[in-house]
Amino acid sequence: MMKRLVLLAGIFCLLATSVWAIEANELFNTMRTKVLSVKDYTADVKMKIDVTYMRIPQLKGTLYFKSPDKMRLERHGGLSIFPKKNINLTLSNLIPTGQVAVLDLGPTTRNGKKLRVLKVIPEDEQGNIVLTKIWIDETNLLAVRTETTTRNDGTVIMDLEFGNYIPFGLPDKVTIFMDVKDYKLPKGVAMDYNDDHINDTKPKDGKGTKGTIQIQYLKYTINTGLKDDIFKGKKGEE
Amino acid sequence: MIQLLRIELYKIFKRPRTYISFGIVAAITFVIQLAMLTDGKTFIGFAIQGINEQFDIQGNMLNGYLVTYIILQSLLIHIPLLVALVAGDSLAGEANMGTLRLLLTKPITRPKLVLIKFVSSFLYTVLLIIWLAVVALFFSILLFGTGDMINLKSEAFIMILKDDVLWRYFAAFGFATLAMTTIASLALMLSAFADNSIGPIISTMGIVVVLTILSNLEIPLFSHIKPYLFTTHMIGWKGFFDEPIPYAAIGKSCMVLVAYTVGFLATTIFYFNRKDIKT
Repeated sequence: MMKRLVLLAGIFCLLATSVWAIEANELFNTMRTKVLSVKDYTADVKMKIDVTYMRIPQLKGTLYFKSPDKMRLERHGGLSIFPKKNINLTLSNLIPTGQVAVLDLGPTTRNGKKLRVLKVIPEDEQGNIVLTKIWIDETNLLAVRTETTTRNDGTVIMDLEFGNYIPFGLPDKVTIFMDVKDYKLPKGVAMDYNDDHINDTKPKDGKGTKGTIQIQYLKYTINTGLKDDIFKGKKGEE
Repeated sequence: MIQLLRIELYKIFKRPRTYISFGIVAAITFVIQLAMLTDGKTFIGFAIQGINEQFDIQGNMLNGYLVTYIILQSLLIHIPLLVALVAGDSLAGEANMGTLRLLLTKPITRPKLVLIKFVSSFLYTVLLIIWLAVVALFFSILLFGTGDMINLKSEAFIMILKDDVLWRYFAAFGFATLAMTTIASLALMLSAFADNSIGPIISTMGIVVVLTILSNLEIPLFSHIKPYLFTTHMIGWKGFFDEPIPYAAIGKSCMVLVAYTVGFLATTIFYFNRKDIKT
């Protein structure tokens, strides 16, 4: 009798795990499909880069995005600064594509909202993404936070706040936390001012540090069929 | 007083060597602009390679504002020589030509004469800085256009929006005028001590070079005297291109430069008042 009970319990656990796995897979795939349904967009944005050694004012401009990884910030003659292409600023680039293994880490609460946490491991071992942890709002099928471990660029955390564009899965505000390396320019090239000790920005331990990029999306125009020419650098640009 | 000032300015601008300074400023500026036109992108690429490892920067970085900054950084070291050429000659030149005694027979006090010489040297300095602003800023904007300005410090990358740049240049040129006025007052003081103009000009440059080296040496021995050297404060104009702008440091630099200027001028008046004029 006891043996049968243990066997039944074992079968139940196995079935439950596989059902959760299917649910987690479905949840991830549905969410990914929603994210990838946006093929391109144009958005008016405000961008704030907060990196220890960078002193950059808030940048306003128009952000162009075309799936899978084309992005350009147009600032009408001004400079635009982006993290390198492999740490793209879009959610679609921080969610693994292709075959993946999805693990359900269970429910959690964040800012008073019930979320489900998934761990997604891509099967492609050559890609830049090693694994991604995603906090999903199941009701609206939205990823509100991702923590992506990359092969070459450290860990990138993305917090997303949604408002007017929930049906498209597009956020109103994105905050990206990323690892940044130290910056040092030879004195011969630098444009230093002797009173620099007042504004000393060097991390005290001399190691790399965290950087934050905050983007506020003011208005989207979605899936208009943007041409590739928009993403090419204009004459005279670096 | 105005009449005497006019005469002094006439004397300065009658001499061909006065215009050499303006020619030198234009020549150096155009050489740097030409170098930037041909090789500027390589220079910028080298300078921002540390940033480029992690960030993509798109847009016209090599614009007129950055080129002007590079010009000022290179040129403001040499401008003291050009200022000393005129200010160092103002009293000693008269003594050398034998016109100083004649000049002092006029109904004018010695302190007044020194002040007129100082004001005329100051006006020459202002014109030289305006000329620098025109050839450096105006022609750089003409050649390279405008845009957001980057300021590459050894441990910081600063970006200034293009609408926020121009007033900083006006402030920087104003500060540079003050710094060069300090040099003019130093040269004038040395000019009062000498009877030929070569000595004060070379002495001014010698003092500037030695003190600039001391200001830039990262040796603890000199760290205590550095804040008191006027050469340490002469580069205060760069503070206007920092973010946030270190107004306190700039203000302190201004006060030090004003104190030196007043000190040099007072010494000149004091010494010249008692000087036995023999030529």
